[in-house]
Amino acid sequence: MPFIKLNDLEVEVPDGINVIEAARLHGIEVPYYCYHPGLSRPANCRMCLVEPHVFFPPAGAIVPDRQLATGCTTVLRTAPPDRKLDGKYDFIVRTDSPRVKKAREDILEFLLVHHPLDCSVCDQAGECDLQDFSFNHGRGTSRYVEVKNVPPKKDLGPDVLLYSTRCIVCTRCIRFCHEVSGTGELGLIHRGSHDEIDIPRAHDGTPLQLLDNKLAGNVVDICPVGALISKDFLFKSRPWFMKTVNSICPGCSVGCNITLDFKEDGVYRLKPRFHADINQHWMCDDGRLGYHYVNSEDRLQIPMKRVDGELVPTSWADALNLIVEKFSGVDAESKVVVGSAQGTNEENYVLQKLGREVLKTDRFGLFGREPGEEHKFPQFAIEADKNPNTRGARDMLGLGNGSVLEDEALWEGLSNAEAVYLVNGAPERPLDETSQKALESVDFLVVQDIFESDVAKLADVVLPGVTFAEKDGTFTNSSGWVQRIHKSVDPPGEARTDWEIIQQVAKRLGGDIDYHFAGEIAMDIAENVPGYQDATHQKIGDSGVKLQDDN
Amino acid sequence: MPFEFSEENRREFEKLIPRYPVKEAVMLPTLHLAQRQAGYISPEVMEYVAGLLEVPVMKVKDVLTFYPMFFEEPVGKYVIRVCHTLPCALADCKLVLEHIKQKLNTDVAAETDLAKGTTPDGKFTLLKAECLASCDVAPVMMVNDDLYKNLTPQKVDEILDSLA
Repeated sequence: MPFIKLNDLEVEVPDGINVIEAARLHGIEVPYYCYHPGLSRPANCRMCLVEPHVFFPPAGAIVPDRQLATGCTTVLRTAPPDRKLDGKYDFIVRTDSPRVKKAREDILEFLLVHHPLDCSVCDQAGECDLQDFSFNHGRGTSRYVEVKNVPPKKDLGPDVLLYSTRCIVCTRCIRFCHEVSGTGELGLIHRGSHDEIDIPRAHDGTPLQLLDNKLAGNVVDICPVGALISKDFLFKSRPWFMKTVNSICPGCSVGCNITLDFKEDGVYRLKPRFHADINQHWMCDDGRLGYHYVNSEDRLQIPMKRVDGELVPTSWADALNLIVEKFSGVDAESKVVVGSAQGTNEENYVLQKLGREVLKTDRFGLFGREPGEEHKFPQFAIEADKNPNTRGARDMLGLGNGSVLEDEALWEGLSNAEAVYLVNGAPERPLDETSQKALESVDFLVVQDIFESDVAKLADVVLPGVTFAEKDGTFTNSSGWVQRIHKSVDPPGEARTDWEIIQQVAKRLGGDIDYHFAGEIAMDIAENVPGYQDATHQKIGDSGVKLQDDN
Repeated sequence: MPFEFSEENRREFEKLIPRYPVKEAVMLPTLHLAQRQAGYISPEVMEYVAGLLEVPVMKVKDVLTFYPMFFEEPVGKYVIRVCHTLPCALADCKLVLEHIKQKLNTDVAAETDLAKGTTPDGKFTLLKAECLASCDVAPVMMVNDDLYKNLTPQKVDEILDSLA
């Protein structure tokens, strides 16, 4: 590990790291715009200039001024013994010298030459690198008195707008489209101070190609200013009025790490969160824009039961009593419990306890969203399984004998079932003829769901559960990472956390299941489910835990 | 209207490829060839060139808008570029430019609006140019690929009148 002098600190840093990251590790901010840890480094914004001391001239020697260097491309490595600086350092660099500070002020003044002062209506305000670095490192005033360039606002694609005036031409978005998505829709038109980001267009402005790939939303995240804007979030909220929790995208089995921004009245946006082994810095637009169902007016809010063929609202007590009454009269072999690949490990664990310990059945099934399309990009993949927890649900439900009925086997299994407890929770799940028939044949069907879905419409009792945004728990992704989701908004109406509903049912059926919070269930999972030894909420934290004995 | 290289230009293009390390690097000569054949780089030409060089269309658009030698809309048969950089300005290029404007009864084209400087008969397009690297013989102008030196209004008349 290189031993460096960083300002007045003497520190060891990982080999091959650049000055920006080395400084970050030690709590020193080096401002930057064009650099992004997930992209190539053109060093074009010049914001991260630092002052390296690469040699020590003999006293009295006349040498040229040392050059400032860009922190993003200055890579730190161990120097050979005869090249150590001051006899011991592999590198000496200052990020706080007067020359560096002056350079930052000058660069910022240039970057702001054509930048409008529309922070008051800009979506990025409050989370803008231009604002923050101006505040921390800027001059505070501009000496520019000429007319500003006013390039047009442009529509780049289904979800992305470009406010060209705000753009500082760092080219992160262009590099993203070449390197990560491999789609290459973005480029620079014109020259010099007239440079503009754009999609290919005919001379009259007609687009020849839109920024319309499944990763397009990431360019909005990596834009350091308010130039690239998501239409979905445009003018929805000032960033500082939202609260943020860490979560996991429920859109597919990749399990991208995300942050979820919300206010009391709902979820406002999802953004990717870095995970080195899963999603890097990115997420897909299906996941990013897939949260709207959480805020839907059509969410189930109260329990329902079937009376004269119609589903009518009822109370929790009544619905639960009805379930107890109907399930009590059925023999164990005729009961099937169906978990959800949309549900957490915790609720599937409680569900299998309900099945095995209370209902005394070993017939378990797994339900969830239908498979969708798979997409591959140079540095990202979207998986075909559109459920976040297929693997975890299988692990939990299959705990006893390891067999979980899915797809055709499930429909076959249901055809001779008398009482079925099914958890859905998928934002949309159409039924085909086979599944419709199988579910219709069930004498007494309980469905725990978030919408009056095709499945819920066939139920005798419907219980309102919650979405990923409204509960705590863990998902196990396809590569065996157990990751944590956090509750953000409250459930609508009388809807309840899924494992609590299942526990209530179990209790009323005489079961001895008594958990108080999801983390308590996770501790039981760690004790009882093979591979999950480390999967307690405490150990999972924000970065996840890889299943043991998993290759 | 779909665009395709003529047989001759196709052969010319094939000869260019081995001279460069990667296909993308053949961009400039390919665009010159295409513009010579088509007159200007229309979206169809852009897409054709992108296909030939196996790059996204945006790469072509990027290069095309960087260089003022490429046109994205029709231009006159003769493109006149009058230098207006310092030495030519000192040698009174303004007089030359105003004379041409009056003679052709046209404005100076903008890079993004060539029609503004193109005569209605489609014969001439008048552009201002940055330094044409002939300051010793200022003021100068180029008409298509030919350089004209030591210009005076009278000399300009002779040159333009001689063009068919």
